[in-house]
Amino acid sequence: MTRAALTLMAVLAVAACDKGRRFDNNVNLGAGANGAVVPGSANDPASPLYFQQSVGDRVLFAVDQHTLSDSARAVLNAQAQWLMTNADYTAVIEGHADEQGTREYNLALGGRRANAVREYLITQGVSAARLKTVSYGKERPIEICSVESCYEKNRRAVTVLAAGAIS
Amino acid sequence: MHTGHIISGAGHLALFAWAFIGSFSLPPDDAIQVTDVALVSPEEFAALTPPVDQAPGADTAVAELPAPEAADTPPEATPQTDSTPEQAPPETAAAPAPEAAPEKPDLTTPQADVSDTTSTITAPSEDVAVVVPETPDEAPRDIPRVAPRPVVRPDRDVAVGESPQAPTAPSDTAEEVQPAEEEKAPEEATTRIVTEADDKGQGLPKSSKRPPASRPVKTAAVEPDPKPANTPEPKPAPAQTETATPRPEQKEAINDALSRALAGAADAAPDTPPAGPSGPPLTSGEKEALRVAVSACWNTGSLSTDALRTTVVVTVEMSQDGKPLAETIRMLTSSGGTGTAARQAFEAARRAIIRCGAQGFGLPVDKYDHWREIEMTFNPEKMRIK
Amino acid sequence: MTHLTRLIAVLATAMAFAVPATAQDGPLRIEITEGVIEPLPFAIPNFVPESGGAGELAANITRVLSEDLTGTGLFREIPQSAHIGSVTSFSSPVQYADWKAINAQALITGGVTVQGDRVTVKFRLYDVFSGQEMGDGLQFSGTTAGWRRMAHKVADTVYSRITGEGPYFDSRVVYVSETGPKDDRRKRLAIMDYDGANTQYLTDSSSIVLAPRFSPTGDRVLYTSYETGFPKIYVLDVASVGRRTLTTPEGTMSFAPRFAPNGQTVVYSLSQGGNTDIYAMDINSGQSVQLTTAPSIETAPSFSPDGSQIVFESDRSGSQQLYVMPAGGGEPRRISFGQGRYGTPVWSPRGDLIAFTKQSKGRFHIGVMRTDGSEERLLTASFLDEGPTWSPNGRVIMFTRETQGEQGSASLYSVDISGRNLKKVRTEGAASDPSWSPLQN
Repeated sequence: MTRAALTLMAVLAVAACDKGRRFDNNVNLGAGANGAVVPGSANDPASPLYFQQSVGDRVLFAVDQHTLSDSARAVLNAQAQWLMTNADYTAVIEGHADEQGTREYNLALGGRRANAVREYLITQGVSAARLKTVSYGKERPIEICSVESCYEKNRRAVTVLAAGAIS
Repeated sequence: MHTGHIISGAGHLALFAWAFIGSFSLPPDDAIQVTDVALVSPEEFAALTPPVDQAPGADTAVAELPAPEAADTPPEATPQTDSTPEQAPPETAAAPAPEAAPEKPDLTTPQADVSDTTSTITAPSEDVAVVVPETPDEAPRDIPRVAPRPVVRPDRDVAVGESPQAPTAPSDTAEEVQPAEEEKAPEEATTRIVTEADDKGQGLPKSSKRPPASRPVKTAAVEPDPKPANTPEPKPAPAQTETATPRPEQKEAINDALSRALAGAADAAPDTPPAGPSGPPLTSGEKEALRVAVSACWNTGSLSTDALRTTVVVTVEMSQDGKPLAETIRMLTSSGGTGTAARQAFEAARRAIIRCGAQGFGLPVDKYDHWREIEMTFNPEKMRIK
Repeated sequence: MTHLTRLIAVLATAMAFAVPATAQDGPLRIEITEGVIEPLPFAIPNFVPESGGAGELAANITRVLSEDLTGTGLFREIPQSAHIGSVTSFSSPVQYADWKAINAQALITGGVTVQGDRVTVKFRLYDVFSGQEMGDGLQFSGTTAGWRRMAHKVADTVYSRITGEGPYFDSRVVYVSETGPKDDRRKRLAIMDYDGANTQYLTDSSSIVLAPRFSPTGDRVLYTSYETGFPKIYVLDVASVGRRTLTTPEGTMSFAPRFAPNGQTVVYSLSQGGNTDIYAMDINSGQSVQLTTAPSIETAPSFSPDGSQIVFESDRSGSQQLYVMPAGGGEPRRISFGQGRYGTPVWSPRGDLIAFTKQSKGRFHIGVMRTDGSEERLLTASFLDEGPTWSPNGRVIMFTRETQGEQGSASLYSVDISGRNLKKVRTEGAASDPSWSPLQN
């Protein structure tokens, strides 16, 4: 009885999603009895952590530029894939700039970069309604040395996932 | 008769010949020291120009200032009512007292101090004490004082006595204990304002290793200082009359006048013997000395940017001892600025004339007619963005 | 007779060759084109306390007054230890000789009276070399709590009388106070007297705040905040510290807001779809109009003091440059042409100059240029200088300077328009994005 109920719940849960493979046969009771994937962890291809670490949540830009390089596009292709697989996430794309510029211009530049990513993801099939953009200009560097090796890491657009399907 | 004619004619011809040719070969008696520039030692040079050094007002050592004479009997007139917001009355009370004083303290300020220092461009030197002298080869340094000639505090090269001819500005060594050498050295200055944006190390030619002593020294060589004190008095006239054919007295007198006039024309180096109060016009060296003297006290630092765009023409009458008569200073014209700006510019000019003229500008008395009235144009265009 | 005639002839001929030693024609004319630039020395004996217990206040007021003047770089105080004479009573006449002797060119004397919580400050200014008073003595009164403002007012009067410039000491600066390392910066709005005193905080540091700007009367501040997660513009009332957002379309970012001289219109940047343009909004009705329509980045607008024009930065030419357009929008005219990139233009309150940030060869500079772009002059150079703001009299510029590296932090600096007197502004901790208020009433 219990097992049937559980299975029913699992089926129902799965039924709500398109291609949800979020829940395994083991419905999150007991840790990975199958030993393979822990849901929600980086192992779980459907988790944000996986998106961050394996798919790659960011792309980098050249100085003053907002054009996407080939490697950037490769990462964004994967992002697009993931987003279409995991349709109950929305995303905010954050654009950033390095500190070699004035404050307002860098805000605008970050906006350009975020928008470049957004438009590309849309061309890859992601629904526009799921994607928002914001710019932090040079306000949120992740590397703080004042040389190019740090600067290049700061010139980025980061796709930040937010749970919540579009109804 | 004929003999007389012949002798007279010969004498005159000889005179003529002497006028045309002789002047080039006859060394003037009044010892114009035409020496090599390099050979004028600092002491000699200093000896040549003491009056100049003492020219503009040197308000120095407080300690030695005798009690102000006239100023210590102020009419203790009505302390004005303090209740009114606008306090105009104090002017009347304060004004009468110092009236008598203005010139005197200037005179009594210790000239002794000034003569010790052969010549100093002294000015607020407080800040100099703080500035570490850098190598003179660098681009203009960021020090508070900006003056037309760059001056590096001579920490190693320059001998103490060797300093520019430019007259002193009022110094205030009184304010603090200063190391002795600072009093003797020229005030440190650069030729222009150093902003941070200036690319240092681009080898700007503005700072020099030593004060540009060459200019004044040349002046000494080419146009020897015609100061009355130094100007050798002996006129060539007596010499001339000796060589001239003896004549009846009136002719001698005429000869005297003639020779004097000729002497005036003859001198290549214009150390002219004083021919009278209105002698020859000022030489360019003398004019330059006057210009430099006034420039040293013309402080444009505290002028508004509007006043820095205003050119003013100021007239001043001079007393015979080379001092400006303060009450005669007035503005003739102004251009480039409005009323306030023009007034500011005029005030700065007026201050310059009074401050540096307090000890007299050292102009030659024998040419008094030429500088009894002076018209100075103060054009701050170069001072604007320095 | 012939003899004499011949003599005279020779004499006359000789005279022709002589240097004419006749009287001069007209006065001697010389032109002074170079002078010196040095701080004007002044003396200020302690203001005389004229009521019981006013001694300390009098001494403090004297000190603030002196710091205002010397802080301009145009004045130099002759220390009190060097004074010969002294002023023990405000009404006694001045012994000019005493002050001439120490080479003071200006003398300031004053008196301070305290009655309850009111303080009255009076002063006189003397031109020592002329031996007379410069202008009339004046008197200010106010609350004891505002004693610094009175010192500033006296200093303003002295400064204006001597230099001819407009006053600026009685003013405030709003800025962003920063704490923390570069990768975890906390920012909050702060306001202080121009000299760093009386700091107050206007927001907390829970969200990023940027680039505040005073209103033309100094009563309100516009700024950008991320408190909604997106940069939006807010207006804050300085007295009440109350604030509200200026509504902009959903999904857009707005930033760089500045007041027009009428205090009603706000011009700002709106970024949507990756494109940033300049808009103007009526602060009461909320109605907005787009002023620029270009696919390039247009931002950092600033009004001319007469409200007729706007200067802004745009990269439509391929790099950041400065442009001027009519206040209602219209064809912009480029005014920057040097080597490098130009941004953050700010129109001087005197209307004659535009200050800006310039990047060139890896360095940042604060500079000024005429409103047509001519006579560009750079005033500073460093790793990162940006965001100039003008003093109320258009004579001094304050800006942000950030140092490089992991330990880098930001401070406020000020510089005279001539490029002299560059110095750090005293703030509580790190600071950025200053905006200078107009002169307080």
